[in-house]
Amino acid sequence: MPAYNALYVRPVLLAFFSMLTPLSLLPAESYAHGRTVTYLDPQEHTNLYPPAGGFYPNGGILSQITDRLTWQDPQTLEIKPWLASSWSVNVDDTAYTFHLRPGLTFSDGSPLDAPAVALNFQTYGKGNSQLHFPVSEAISNFDYAEVVDPLTVTFHFTHPAPGFLQATSVLGSGIVSPATLRRPFDELGTATNIIGSGPFVVSADIPGKEVDLEARKDYRWGPQTSQGAALVDRIKILIVPEDSIRVGALLAGQADIIRQVEAYDEEQIRHAGYSLYAPSTRGVNTGIALRPDNPLVADIRVRKALLHGTDRQEIVSTLYSQSYPVARSVLSSQAAGFVDLSDRMKFDPVLAAGLLESAGWHMEPDGLRHKDGQILRLGVHISLPHPQNKTMLELLAEQWRRIGVDLNIMSGSAAGVLLDNLDPRRTPLTVSEVGRADPDVLKSEFFPKNRDALLQKGGQSTKVQGFQDEHLNTMLLGIASSTDPAERLGLVAEVQEYLIDQAYDIPILEEPQVYAASKQLKGLAFEAVGRPVLRDLELTGP
Amino acid sequence: MSSFRSGSSLDALGGFGRYALTQVFRAIVILWGAFTVTFFLLQMMPGDAVMIRFMDPELGLSPEQIEAMRVLYSGSSNPLVQYVHTIGQMLQGNFGYSVQLGVPVATLIAAALPVTLRLAAVGFLLSLLWTLAIAVGASLLPLRWLRQALHALPGFWSAIPLYWSGILIIQLLSFRLHLLPVVGVGPWEGVILPAIAVSLPIAAPQAKLLLQQIEETEQLPFVMAIRTKGASRASVFFRHILPNSIIPSLTMAGLVFGELIAGAIVTETVFGLNGLGHLTREAVSGQDVAVLQAIVMIGATGFVVANLTVDLLIPLINPTLRSAPAGRKETSGS
Repeated sequence: MPAYNALYVRPVLLAFFSMLTPLSLLPAESYAHGRTVTYLDPQEHTNLYPPAGGFYPNGGILSQITDRLTWQDPQTLEIKPWLASSWSVNVDDTAYTFHLRPGLTFSDGSPLDAPAVALNFQTYGKGNSQLHFPVSEAISNFDYAEVVDPLTVTFHFTHPAPGFLQATSVLGSGIVSPATLRRPFDELGTATNIIGSGPFVVSADIPGKEVDLEARKDYRWGPQTSQGAALVDRIKILIVPEDSIRVGALLAGQADIIRQVEAYDEEQIRHAGYSLYAPSTRGVNTGIALRPDNPLVADIRVRKALLHGTDRQEIVSTLYSQSYPVARSVLSSQAAGFVDLSDRMKFDPVLAAGLLESAGWHMEPDGLRHKDGQILRLGVHISLPHPQNKTMLELLAEQWRRIGVDLNIMSGSAAGVLLDNLDPRRTPLTVSEVGRADPDVLKSEFFPKNRDALLQKGGQSTKVQGFQDEHLNTMLLGIASSTDPAERLGLVAEVQEYLIDQAYDIPILEEPQVYAASKQLKGLAFEAVGRPVLRDLELTGP
Repeated sequence: MSSFRSGSSLDALGGFGRYALTQVFRAIVILWGAFTVTFFLLQMMPGDAVMIRFMDPELGLSPEQIEAMRVLYSGSSNPLVQYVHTIGQMLQGNFGYSVQLGVPVATLIAAALPVTLRLAAVGFLLSLLWTLAIAVGASLLPLRWLRQALHALPGFWSAIPLYWSGILIIQLLSFRLHLLPVVGVGPWEGVILPAIAVSLPIAAPQAKLLLQQIEETEQLPFVMAIRTKGASRASVFFRHILPNSIIPSLTMAGLVFGELIAGAIVTETVFGLNGLGHLTREAVSGQDVAVLQAIVMIGATGFVVANLTVDLLIPLINPTLRSAPAGRKETSGS
């Protein structure tokens, strides 16, 4: 009775494999419709209130569905017309008047006019406590918005606001319909609730999986020479957290664009003939900010020793690729007002050792420096959003170890890390980086009332005992309110020099956002801080 | 028998009713306990979702603005007031909003739960299939080395980390053989590859147990007796050995079903699925209390409902147990 074999075993196996066979036909069919672009992102979007657009997954969506009053040319960083066809500023930079293009509409058909724009900036500039809207980081000194006529709106400021014109061009100032801003903050995490005027409209949002964008056929107010509607019909943004799967899916033809390519994957993508894009984030470089409130780094000699004990060239050439330029200042070399300070932050372990010696930190047999029975051990938290941050810190620890400094690399829950990073005793060092193509970015990162990277008294932290640098703060405020562009850039240069001379910050590399795209894809562009602009995408070939 | 007929059926029903009520009451107490314990444990964690969301340097808010947000969100700083408020809202079916994602918790759950259940169900069925295939192959295949290889397979499978096998399966089946894409596929096609991945470690212990049982059964005298009568290997195997060996691994299968849900975090990350595992990971990293609370309540409810069903079904299925709660007095009396 060997018939049993055939009766039982074979059908079971056959049934299983035949299940797979018809499915193998699926990819060929679904990819035949050439006008859908598949975009893979490692993370899902969070709340899509435009001022929260700094988070990359949010920026990737908002950049397609909203327009801004002005457009910043990513090459020249000049501010050019977009929704506003022209504008004027009063002498002391406290009143900005914008004239809107006629005939603008939101995707729900409602008009994009002066009252709508006024409501947007009123909300971004002042927040709305009833609906839980926070204020926008990019807008300072906002007072109120005034509707002059249906196409003219004036914004008034309590103090000079020279950064405001650039602030109208950032993703965080994307214009949404008044109906969107009448919803409570908590409802803006659903992408379909965000009604903008951009070339794409959100047609579906499946939490944690997918956001679908449909091209808007009647779009005709783009910022560049080609102002018309998108050339593709649909964009599917899919969440694929695993790095190797995103790369594999691109190379297997299952995706057209992927965001966040790690340096070690670049070679195989380039080798396969795919295109790599590494737009700069053009702000404060990825580096280590020091907190002088902690007695261990209160001495400028110790801080300088750390600055000169850092071999950024080794870090970049060991761990990263040509997409990651070595930092030459606190600011990116592509930022306005950049000053090359490489000479003042040279790698010099002998100088570093001498500085530590003169500060009273002596080498003990354990290979570490001690002073009054204390070891020179400095804590820093891994910063997950930055590429290969853990490995980078480990290499840095190895370099510092050679001059007798122990870098204690820590990790923890999101809340634990936040709390630790507000306490200079626990974190004398922190990883810092901000992307924004305006000199205001220096104030954003270092001013106590903003991100407060150095942790000053009177800033975000209540744990600071006394550190405060009035000289730095005065210069930072000057950048944010100086009305003369030349004077402003002068201050930007001064702040960069001061941060390095005081060794408040150890710049390491210029962080790009690395994307890869298939060979058939043309027209992938980026706005000034590396968020993708998908309007001009074109699928060529099969 | 006569006592059963003479009016005691009503008694028995009343007894069962009382029994059922007790069980339901107990289930509710357990759910309430689970809610209370998680609520206060989550309260004890340092920081909260409001802090993580709004202290995010990306937003660059001032400390005063963050404090204002906190008051707006929690309504009150008193945890007892929050507790009563939350429980009241939950009873009305309102699970609140995810502070992190800005989406109602109910929407998130509605999107995630079917994904995980689908993965668990398909993975579970596949694991049964593997188990049977291994058992049949290891007993009936003609080549000795092949049978031995199949014997060793479960031990090998259980040693492979899910993370690794998941990536291997994608690389091989999707990227090399192009059998089906891993991104942008429908809910059912999308579950096939991850289900294969989770089914392997689940099948391993079941298959091991089944193989063990088969070996034991083969030694039994009745099997020898049938064999000496001249029955073929296959007929002995399918008619006598397999039916007599399969019960323990079916019991085991029920137990490992829970593991499927637990393994979901890894599988869903590797395959980019938006199920409960993915949601849990996001909620934990963002300390999104409302979402975590809802996930814990789903887990507890699943557990409680399953137990309650069993407790209520047993007396209905087995009459001796059914009459026990009500009949105790009678039997002692008669």
